[in-house]
Amino acid sequence: MARVGVFVCFCGANIADFVDVPAVVEEAKKIKEVKYAIDYKYMCSDPGQGMIRDAIVAHRLTSIVVAACSPRMHEKTFRKALSDAGMNPYLLEVANIREHSSWVHQKDKKAATEKSSDLIRMAVAKSMANEQLHEISVPVTKRALVIGGGIAGIQAALDIADARIPVVLVEKSPSIGGKMAQLDETFPTLDCSQCILTPKMVDVASHPYIELLPYSEVLELDGYVGNYKVKIKRKASYVNFDTCTGCGACWQKCPVKVPNEFNMGIDKRKAIYSPFPQAVPNKPVIDAEHCTMLIKGKCGICAKVCEKGSIDYTMQDEIIEREIGAVVVATGYDLWDPKPYEEYGVGRYKDIITSLEFERMVSASGPTGGVPVRPSDGKIPKSVVFIKCVGSRDEAKGIEYCSKICCMYTAKHAMLLHHKVHDSHAYIFYMDIRAAGKGYEEFVKRAQVETAATYLRGRVSKIYKKGDKLMVRGEDAQIGQVVEVEADLVVLATAVYPYKDNSDLARLLGISYDKYGFLSEAHPKLRPVETAKAGIFLAGCTQAPKDIPETVAQASATAAKVCGLFAGDTMLKDPMVSTVNTDYCTGCQNCVTVCPYQAIITEEIPLGHGSKEIRTVAKINEGVCQGCGSCVAICRSMAIDLAGFTDMQIINEIVSI
Amino acid sequence: MIALGQQIENKFLVAVNKKSSNNILDCYQCGKCVSTCPVSSFMDFSPREIMQMIKLGLKEETYMANSMWFCLTCAACSGRCPREIDIPRVMESIRHLAIAENINPDDPRVKNIRKFHEIFLDMIKRYGRNYELRMMAEFNIRTRNLFKDIHLAPKALLKGKIPIGNEKVKSAKAIKRMFEIAEKLEKTQ
Amino acid sequence: MTKLTYFPGCSAHGTSEEFDSTLKLVMKSLDVEMEELPDWNCCGATSAHVMTENLALALPLRNLVLAEKLSNKTMGIACASCYSRMKSTKVEMDNHPELAKRINSTIIEEGEYQGSVDVKSMLQFFYEDFGTEAIAEKVTYPLQGLKIACYYGCLLTRPKAITQFDSPEYPMSMDNIVESLGATATPFDFKTECCGASFSISDTEIVLSLSGTILEMAKESGAHLIAVACPLCQSNLDMRQPDIEKKNGTKYDMPVMYITQLMALAFGYPVQDLKPSKHIVPIEQALSHIGEEIETPEVKKKPKKAVQAESEVE
Repeated sequence: MARVGVFVCFCGANIADFVDVPAVVEEAKKIKEVKYAIDYKYMCSDPGQGMIRDAIVAHRLTSIVVAACSPRMHEKTFRKALSDAGMNPYLLEVANIREHSSWVHQKDKKAATEKSSDLIRMAVAKSMANEQLHEISVPVTKRALVIGGGIAGIQAALDIADARIPVVLVEKSPSIGGKMAQLDETFPTLDCSQCILTPKMVDVASHPYIELLPYSEVLELDGYVGNYKVKIKRKASYVNFDTCTGCGACWQKCPVKVPNEFNMGIDKRKAIYSPFPQAVPNKPVIDAEHCTMLIKGKCGICAKVCEKGSIDYTMQDEIIEREIGAVVVATGYDLWDPKPYEEYGVGRYKDIITSLEFERMVSASGPTGGVPVRPSDGKIPKSVVFIKCVGSRDEAKGIEYCSKICCMYTAKHAMLLHHKVHDSHAYIFYMDIRAAGKGYEEFVKRAQVETAATYLRGRVSKIYKKGDKLMVRGEDAQIGQVVEVEADLVVLATAVYPYKDNSDLARLLGISYDKYGFLSEAHPKLRPVETAKAGIFLAGCTQAPKDIPETVAQASATAAKVCGLFAGDTMLKDPMVSTVNTDYCTGCQNCVTVCPYQAIITEEIPLGHGSKEIRTVAKINEGVCQGCGSCVAICRSMAIDLAGFTDMQIINEIVSI
Repeated sequence: MIALGQQIENKFLVAVNKKSSNNILDCYQCGKCVSTCPVSSFMDFSPREIMQMIKLGLKEETYMANSMWFCLTCAACSGRCPREIDIPRVMESIRHLAIAENINPDDPRVKNIRKFHEIFLDMIKRYGRNYELRMMAEFNIRTRNLFKDIHLAPKALLKGKIPIGNEKVKSAKAIKRMFEIAEKLEKTQ
Repeated sequence: MTKLTYFPGCSAHGTSEEFDSTLKLVMKSLDVEMEELPDWNCCGATSAHVMTENLALALPLRNLVLAEKLSNKTMGIACASCYSRMKSTKVEMDNHPELAKRINSTIIEEGEYQGSVDVKSMLQFFYEDFGTEAIAEKVTYPLQGLKIACYYGCLLTRPKAITQFDSPEYPMSMDNIVESLGATATPFDFKTECCGASFSISDTEIVLSLSGTILEMAKESGAHLIAVACPLCQSNLDMRQPDIEKKNGTKYDMPVMYITQLMALAFGYPVQDLKPSKHIVPIEQALSHIGEEIETPEVKKKPKKAVQAESEVE
């Protein structure tokens, strides 16, 4: 005989203001199977849970209905209360009388009260068919995939590997290091970026738990949390890394010059190249698009000068597979192309550059030996205008958000300019100075005072050329006057923007992204490093613009998440999965087609008891099944049922009202 | 000093937003319009300041400014506004609201500008088209500035730049009727 | 033969007669038959929309409705200001049925607006309906050696939502046409800055200041003359030039010519047909540069090389 307990929550005023809770309790008591019903201010609180535990024992209850908020919110909480009282947690039903009733019917208390009673009646009816369920245990592959070898990927990989969990680190370019390797000094301490980064890069290369795959891309991801399978393309480098010593003879002799991406095209690299001196791995690759040997079959100089015979023009792309249990996506950011700023003459004037170009110029190892120069004539600029929010916060140009790092690095640029060109002056057009971070406001103040940079509050409206100067016009809203700065060089703080193919990667991984292509976290506040897909985590600017400290913190957080996931040998999983009644299954395989998780396969069973003939039926891999119910809906012979949502449970609900 | 806090609802902002089909609250005071505007330096208050004045609900002060009378509707500002506010449309709206409430700035230049447009419209009402010489002459007579541009006159006349003759639209009646109905519409809106 | 409804605008029969007459010559060469809109009226110019909302739409609307009675698909408009008023009205009428009904009531005797006629500026018509290649084919007297700063003003390309033509910041259509005539278009940053427009009469100071900057920058760009496609721009830059020179204490000697005058010249019409006497700043001196050797423009060669230099072999 069923003995149901009903627990109705006030949720403070959230439910009680719009639903007559005591009346609902009285109504519940009228249901035949309900042996106990009570209300409480906060059912989710410790005393509230205590009431449930005590009642289970005192009233020998066989199933529990909690009428409260959405099950998404506290189902787990109440299940635990059942377990603690020695009851199977899946004998719980939650009637959502907050989101589904009190919140949406705030203007009609009577109707809301009646609806709440109906919802409870349905939950009670459903609970009549509830069965004891048990969590499913799935094996876990304890190896993590990290996509992207910038500071985010490097930090995540090192932290995971330090916990003795193997990591596969995939980087698309020939070296890890990412944007941070291109920076000169970093705010707010003016640490040399490469000096603090390169030791970490070396650690990655030498770490026994890290398999570094440079010049590689992720092609496919199959499986589910704890049991993913990834296909990775290792692009042909045409250099045998095992024998290459990185001596550099090949790139010194290579006759083909290509704009150097690492230096933002300011100088040239060769067709066989290693992107920068501290590259990891410090082995060159051949750029197949520009190598004349690979295009026309002529040249072959690099092979001739290589003493180790490491050059192999016949090398092909290779596709490899790895089994992994979790993924950290750390693909970083690109700089937004400021071309739409026609009013600035972008593209027409050489002496308008981006902040990353300026960063390369002032870098001691950069293409101009650490001194900024005008690209048009190579002269050292004295009057330099920095324009913030180029793209960022400009809806007309398509970007609503703040890029977060520009205020800080522009202050830094003013300092670097001041350090490198003593008789120079920086003019900074800004809208707001956003310096929220430890030591940040202090840093901005220091930059303003030490460099005496002129901060002008306003957006630049036009840049035009007069003689060999660029005239930069804007309003200084502080005095309400239009100002025009005669500049030698203009530096645009262009927006932090996702890589063009970030959304392709998201689709490939099965995770969501926003309208710009930034990858979406599961919850903006409480699950900032997880995606909605179990076992896939986000680190760094692939999720949103952020600076180095924040990126590193987020990367370490993903490592903690991965380690937590891998803490046991198996993983427990909700038992709400589909099962096939093979007696009814006709083997039509419609379910195989509709399953979005590839969780259904087919198996062959004897036609009848002891029969030698066989027939094909569907079989569900409970490890993969996510309990979406698509197969239940498509099955014509009603052979599939979903645990926790069986046909009988649903029919009971419908019949009860 | 501007006293705030006495009125909670900003009726002026609501009226301007409605009339202009824009939202002044979008403005974040970057001033890009100000340095774009070819005539902002001639204005009592720059477009940016006008936006803030509307946000503050300073109706009288806004109407008394010459700013919206100086707007050339060149649309350079709106083309660059990062918040995509149609600033000329806003200027036009506050100008029309000020005309409807019959509030005129003291600036004599505004009086000239206004006079010019009135003469222009009057001429269209009469002839259906505009005759530049008559336009200039009437303007100078009505603004009591008989000799303005007089140095241009012989040159322009000699060169045939500004013809003396008039032509008239045949359906002058239709134009007159249009003016009458439009005026009525203006009042009922 | 292409047929086109022609809206000359008030100034075509006044200050910009040379625009009108050379436009007709150019159209003859391009084999376009222009049918002047019968009984057209003033578009209301700046004044209508400064003062009233309804007239600003009603005046252009009457012309649009009249144009629909002809069989031509497009109405070409000479004056930039008329074009702007007419195109704005068309966009408003097409997108706001309520408003359209209200405005149409002012001229209901003329008929109901259908939205069947397209509105283009002459510049847009040349550029889109002919293109630079077709124009280049008609050139019999290349303007080689002539350096021209193309000045578009405000209304031919702005606002983008209304005009849907070229760039509002750095348009190139006129530059390309000028180059197809054999001339050189100079890099000119002030091609869409306002000249002061109708303040020419009501507040001349403003025009002197704004047009002054445009002249100065055109000179700075190395141009022999300025090309325009708007009568008001032409008169502000040309007729006011002596005053501007006096005010700024410099000599610009910068003739301001309509694009149609330049086209007519390149198409083989004699200089007299351009009505040079209409210009306050004489055009003859500038036109004498035609036929001069162009200095091997380094600027031009370099970018070409740079493109190839994507990958260069030593």
